[in-house]
Amino acid sequence: MSATLPLDVPTLAPRTAVELQAQLAQCAAAGTSVRVAGRGTWLHAGRPVHAAARLSLTALSGIVEYVPGDLTITARAGTPLAELQAAAAAHRQFVPLDPWGGDAGSLGATLATATAGPWSSGYGLPRDLVLGVELVTGDGRLVRGGGRVVKNVAGFDLVRLSVGAWGTLGVITEATVRLRALPEVDETIAVSAWGMPLDALVVAIRRLQPAAAELLSPALAAALGLGDAETLLVRVSGNAALVAHQRGTVSALGDHAVVPADVWRRLREVEPAVASVVRWSHLPDRLAESWQAAQRAAHLCDGALVHASVARGVVRGILPTDDPAAVRGALDAPFGGTRIAERLPGELWPRSTASGARDAVHERLSRGVRLAFDPGRVLNPGILSGDVT
Amino acid sequence: MTTGLAFPNVARLAERLTSVVGRRFVLLRPSELLVYESDGLPGYHRRPRLAVFPGTREELVAVVGVLAEERAPFVPRGAGTGLSGGALGDDVVLLGLNRLTRIISLDAANRLAVVEPGVVNVKLTAAAAEHGLHYAPDPSSQTVCTIGGNVAENAGGPHCLKYGVTLNHIAAVTVLLPSGEIVTLGNAAGEDEGYDLLGAFVGSEGCFGVALDVTVRLAPNPEAVRTLLADFGDVLHAATAVSSIIASGIVPAALELMDGPTVQAVEASIYAAGYPVDAAAVLLIEVDGAAAGLDDDVSVIEQLCRQAGARHVRTAADAAERARLWQGRKKSFGAMGRLAPHLIVQDAVVPRTRLPEVLAEIGRIGARHGVRVLNVFHAGDGNLHPNIPYDASDADQARRVHAAMSEIMHACVAAGGTITGEHGVGLDKIDYMPLIFSDASLDAMCRLRDVFDPERRANPGKVVPVRSCREWHVTPAARHGGSPA
Repeated sequence: MSATLPLDVPTLAPRTAVELQAQLAQCAAAGTSVRVAGRGTWLHAGRPVHAAARLSLTALSGIVEYVPGDLTITARAGTPLAELQAAAAAHRQFVPLDPWGGDAGSLGATLATATAGPWSSGYGLPRDLVLGVELVTGDGRLVRGGGRVVKNVAGFDLVRLSVGAWGTLGVITEATVRLRALPEVDETIAVSAWGMPLDALVVAIRRLQPAAAELLSPALAAALGLGDAETLLVRVSGNAALVAHQRGTVSALGDHAVVPADVWRRLREVEPAVASVVRWSHLPDRLAESWQAAQRAAHLCDGALVHASVARGVVRGILPTDDPAAVRGALDAPFGGTRIAERLPGELWPRSTASGARDAVHERLSRGVRLAFDPGRVLNPGILSGDVT
Repeated sequence: MTTGLAFPNVARLAERLTSVVGRRFVLLRPSELLVYESDGLPGYHRRPRLAVFPGTREELVAVVGVLAEERAPFVPRGAGTGLSGGALGDDVVLLGLNRLTRIISLDAANRLAVVEPGVVNVKLTAAAAEHGLHYAPDPSSQTVCTIGGNVAENAGGPHCLKYGVTLNHIAAVTVLLPSGEIVTLGNAAGEDEGYDLLGAFVGSEGCFGVALDVTVRLAPNPEAVRTLLADFGDVLHAATAVSSIIASGIVPAALELMDGPTVQAVEASIYAAGYPVDAAAVLLIEVDGAAAGLDDDVSVIEQLCRQAGARHVRTAADAAERARLWQGRKKSFGAMGRLAPHLIVQDAVVPRTRLPEVLAEIGRIGARHGVRVLNVFHAGDGNLHPNIPYDASDADQARRVHAAMSEIMHACVAAGGTITGEHGVGLDKIDYMPLIFSDASLDAMCRLRDVFDPERRANPGKVVPVRSCREWHVTPAARHGGSPA
């Protein structure tokens, strides 16, 4: 498990972005490093951070503006996703963000980590859904990118840059995201995928364009009470006629059953407190390679759970251990695509860039961006690959 | 005029560039450069020192290498159809990318294509057609504009309502930095890790470098398409219909509004599409996707239009009628060109619920300044295009047009909107940037630019007002161009 902060470090808990500005300006001046902790829910993800202070965004919470007719919502970063979902549901809308781990986490953390759950196959990645951000940079400047409208090319794109930056450019204090209207019908179908060729599955799902489609390993299917075979979980939604048609198409793939939508929440929360998590991705038609790579890693670890976002070509392996010996194999096996670690035993992080390493120019640009926004590198030092002095 | 660098010796630079691309593809004479003094937006004229047109990837790399060695400021340019005054500059090298027109590869199984920056938008769709695929972003200039230009501007188009803007369709870009270095941003074969530098590059208006090649995502052609035309006796009724369609949760492929003056201009032109000329506004609405359930969406949309006060709603009977309805919309700017010597095509976005009041305000602003405003726009996104035909040689008219446009921009910002949805900032919107961004935000944008282009040689003086960049120290002498040739 990644190192977190000792409990005795001081905690900053700003109630406004302006307060945070003053605090970060002070930290920058004093060279005090800061672990951005949001609501404290996902601190196990990312590289270990050794910081002298912790920043809680729990007090920076609440909806700033919600105009249902615009299908946009603006909220402070510390707002739990669950609170946004409840507000949107009252108007038959939803926030199409469903990060791994559940809805207890904050909007800010979801965006800062760009964690992409099952809905990202149908509704887009977090980066596609954010319209505007307000952030406080590492040296205490209050910066805004984007806006509150659904289309905007004014200025250089600070929105995309800060989403997925893991807090290293600035602390997101507020964001505006797109909403979707709740569909007339929303149905989840579990299909036995036993013996189904993955190539055919990819073609079928990419043609169907469902709201979500995850392929579950037998162990994961069993953990979710869906039997003990490889299972494809498909979410179809839309008007009644469209869903009836999609249900027919999905049903033709194999033995199937309609299951309660709650299975998606359970899938997102299935990851145990102690775990290592790695993602393998490649071109969509090479899903089988990623799937096999994840399976090989899973074989080295009892109780491993594997699932694939079929349309996106991303496979995620959850290894319920923090024993480096059991996880090393997942990182060392040759793989032609992109391998990204989410959670690892601390000592294994240096190995995690074996795949997907960038060239020197890319690294220089990344370092330049980091220093342009956080010149003293006080925010989450070391959480990203390559973020070393 | 806005770069702090002295322009290098033109004769030497021209000689070096000629040795790379050949004499034919280096333009020096004022008469040859005339066409490159403007882009698709009237009113801006900037004079480049010379223009160079590399014909291959290798030539492009070599040209940018020479520009880096000579420390020459340059402006990348595709087809020159931009509407923000972005692809032009005084005392720069104009770098034309329109000869780089190769579709390098097309991977139908993964719905990806790798193209050079000069590939024309519709030619990509044409190449993908045999695989049942298309390139979704469809700016009105798509028959001539280039993918490189689309990437630079993060271009939109009617079908971006459902399918997203250019950025949503770019998997990776091989970037040639102003320094001459090459870097790949994004990742077509899996997830991208680290900062979204690709997201930063797309829409950077040529200020971060040029694309050597672009990996685009192709979209599957929809199984079925329905195109509706709804006509209204009051433009505010049409705007209300837009709001209720969006609120219904149906995501149309496109939802376009044309007001009465636009309809009349189209119908009086060779692009006549059969729009009702007595309408105060028409909505062109398209839904697409799986055939199942599509007609139910059509029924709901028809009903919402009627509830909002539509006089008639009809659905195109076949592909030919659909194409005709769309041609009127896409060529509407051309049709407006008949009304006066010049046309300002404006671009702004407002929250969709504010459309009725903002349209009413635009009408009042036009009347107050005695100018004729024609509205044709991506209503589903709240992306307004108020257009004003005028005669730029009439100083009084030009003054009134610019005053009206400025008030329209302020009205859109006051309604919670932004100053550009798809055309970019360029030169035209640069003075509006402080309306929506604080000094600190603009400074952050400058810092980001400096990461990609520390010498500020790529498209200098665009997007962010120079005065916003803290470290910017330009002497008046340097600002006026430096050494003569």
